[in-house]
Amino acid sequence: MSITSLGEYDFPSRSRQELYGDDQLVTLWFQDTMWWCSPVMFRAPRAMTWADFWAQMIVPLAEEDPDFDAATARTWTLHGAPFEPQDGMTLTELGIRHKDVIGTRVAA
Amino acid sequence: MTLAPEKKTKKPRKLSMKARYEALTRGLDWEPSYVTKEEMFPHLEYEGIKIHDWAAWEDPFRLTIDAYTKYQAEKDRRLYAVLDGFAQGQGHLNLTDAGYLNAMKLFLQGVTPLEYAAHRNFAYLARHFAGPGPRFAALCQSIDEIRHMQTEVHTLSNYNKYYSGLHNWPENHDRMWYLSVPKSFFDDALSCGPFEFLIAIGFSFEYLLTNLLFVPFMSGASFNGDLPTMTFGFSAQSDESRHMTLGLEAIKFLLEQDEDNVPIVQAWLDKWFWRAYRVTALVSQMLDYMLPRKVMSWKESFELYFEEQMLKGLFEDLAFYGITPPRHVADAVQEKDVLSHQVYWILYQFSFAAGFTTTMPTPEHQQWLSQAYPDTFDTHFKPLWDKEARNIASGGRHFTRGLPQLCQVCQIPMAFTEPGDPTTLCQRESEFEGEIYHTCSNGCQWIFEREPEKYRQAWLPVHQIYQGNCGGPSVPEVLEWYHLQDGDAGEYLGSRDHTNWLTWQGEAAAETASHENKAGA
Ligand SMILES: [Fe+2]
Ligand SMILES: [Fe+2]
Ligand SMILES: [Zn+2]
Repeated sequence: MSITSLGEYDFPSRSRQELYGDDQLVTLWFQDTMWWCSPVMFRAPRAMTWADFWAQMIVPLAEEDPDFDAATARTWTLHGAPFEPQDGMTLTELGIRHKDVIGTRVAA
Repeated sequence: MTLAPEKKTKKPRKLSMKARYEALTRGLDWEPSYVTKEEMFPHLEYEGIKIHDWAAWEDPFRLTIDAYTKYQAEKDRRLYAVLDGFAQGQGHLNLTDAGYLNAMKLFLQGVTPLEYAAHRNFAYLARHFAGPGPRFAALCQSIDEIRHMQTEVHTLSNYNKYYSGLHNWPENHDRMWYLSVPKSFFDDALSCGPFEFLIAIGFSFEYLLTNLLFVPFMSGASFNGDLPTMTFGFSAQSDESRHMTLGLEAIKFLLEQDEDNVPIVQAWLDKWFWRAYRVTALVSQMLDYMLPRKVMSWKESFELYFEEQMLKGLFEDLAFYGITPPRHVADAVQEKDVLSHQVYWILYQFSFAAGFTTTMPTPEHQQWLSQAYPDTFDTHFKPLWDKEARNIASGGRHFTRGLPQLCQVCQIPMAFTEPGDPTTLCQRESEFEGEIYHTCSNGCQWIFEREPEKYRQAWLPVHQIYQGNCGGPSVPEVLEWYHLQDGDAGEYLGSRDHTNWLTWQGEAAAETASHENKAGA
């Protein structure tokens, strides 16, 4: 259904990817703990490798959780589907789009 | 020419109240002669609402401006007398605890600006409705709302002298992340047509949910020794009952005018129930976590004011017009056991960036929570507080350094869980013209997908921070842009308000003791 309005109504998204230049928004969702009230959103370069994203963005934040251990094995999802991050690949190469949600759990 | 002096013996003819009302309101209406009615009222067609007879509007209150101003002036006199007495008698020391004022900080930052927004938009309705009855009712409400804004500011300014977090509320409202929740809610309504606004604010906000949104703050005040706010609440009460009556009259009027209006009104009701309900999230945590002396739990208040009075009372009446309860009401009912806990958990970990403080609930407080929420608190939320207690014992305090993912519609961090499953966060994803958008619930997703062109423009605080539009990309820059001062934000224990409070209470106790000694001597 489209909007009811007085005149033509077509305005761009206020958070479209181009507003972030070479970066994009990426959300990380710790699915097996409620310590974080919600998933956490980052602004990250699309050309950042997974290894850097992990070490520079995720770990410094996640260490706020006293139970977090960077060394444990984890499973990952990308918009719901199982996902295998590769250290040397960039976010774009991994198929992570602007505003995508990456889920993670400690492996069973 | 000269005018003959008026004869003193001839008294002016007195009209009855009803006749005066007719003369001063409907009697002042006129038919346009040099423009068409459509040119005079250009916003009445495009929403699809059909009105055949504006005269069928029943004026619930036959007030004239002179009677209205007389009542309001009388109420103002009483309120300002109380405020004077309170200031002179150091009344702030009779609060239950300085922490109580966190509820009032939220009120001043989050609700007071909405009064002003309501003032603006009821003035718009007073201009744009083609019938004199609803125009005059909207005019009165517009004046009420600006008076509410002013009296709330004056009432709470008594605390600003002594306590943090109350000094910059208009800017807080425009800039801060949690305040974008009420602000965007009202902006959403302000950018609707006149009839949708009437259902959004006149009906859903002022009637359907007012006892869950506005009244809890006033009850909280009366339970916690806040005489000024309580007096303000009484002074607003008669206005609010007028607003409620107007809201109910409005929906019935639209439904009775044309059968084609029914599905349009139903869709607005579905949307605005959920929009307003999401704003009550902030109130729910206020009731359960911010008040030192509790009024009732969110769950009880939801059951009483919403399930009993609205679902059982109101919607049974509206069924006559073919109106059914709001679309996502079952999700709201299911959430009553978890809502306040999830929302306070957000505020607790992000209060370093807020205009109020938070603290871990004490053991007695947690006991109250587990009694009020026997099915959920001990299983799902106490373990989090136990973990935080250990964290604090080892020198920590859970403040999240990252920024939360926000709901595109209600703008609350995505902290809500799947209906019926408090262990899984609810994530809804929609795609519109190649971009993805996230919403926190079935309700918000439905609202987004109905009008994606509108909600894709949302000013989401986290996204704006990341674009560098909020003072700079780092947290300290953002806090400075918020104009937070020392003592406004963070942990309550050891805060400026808390330490001052302890000092003042100690001084007051010492003074009483010395008076008693003198009396005894
Ligand atoms: Fe008001
Ligand atoms: Fe009102
Ligand atoms: Zn939402």
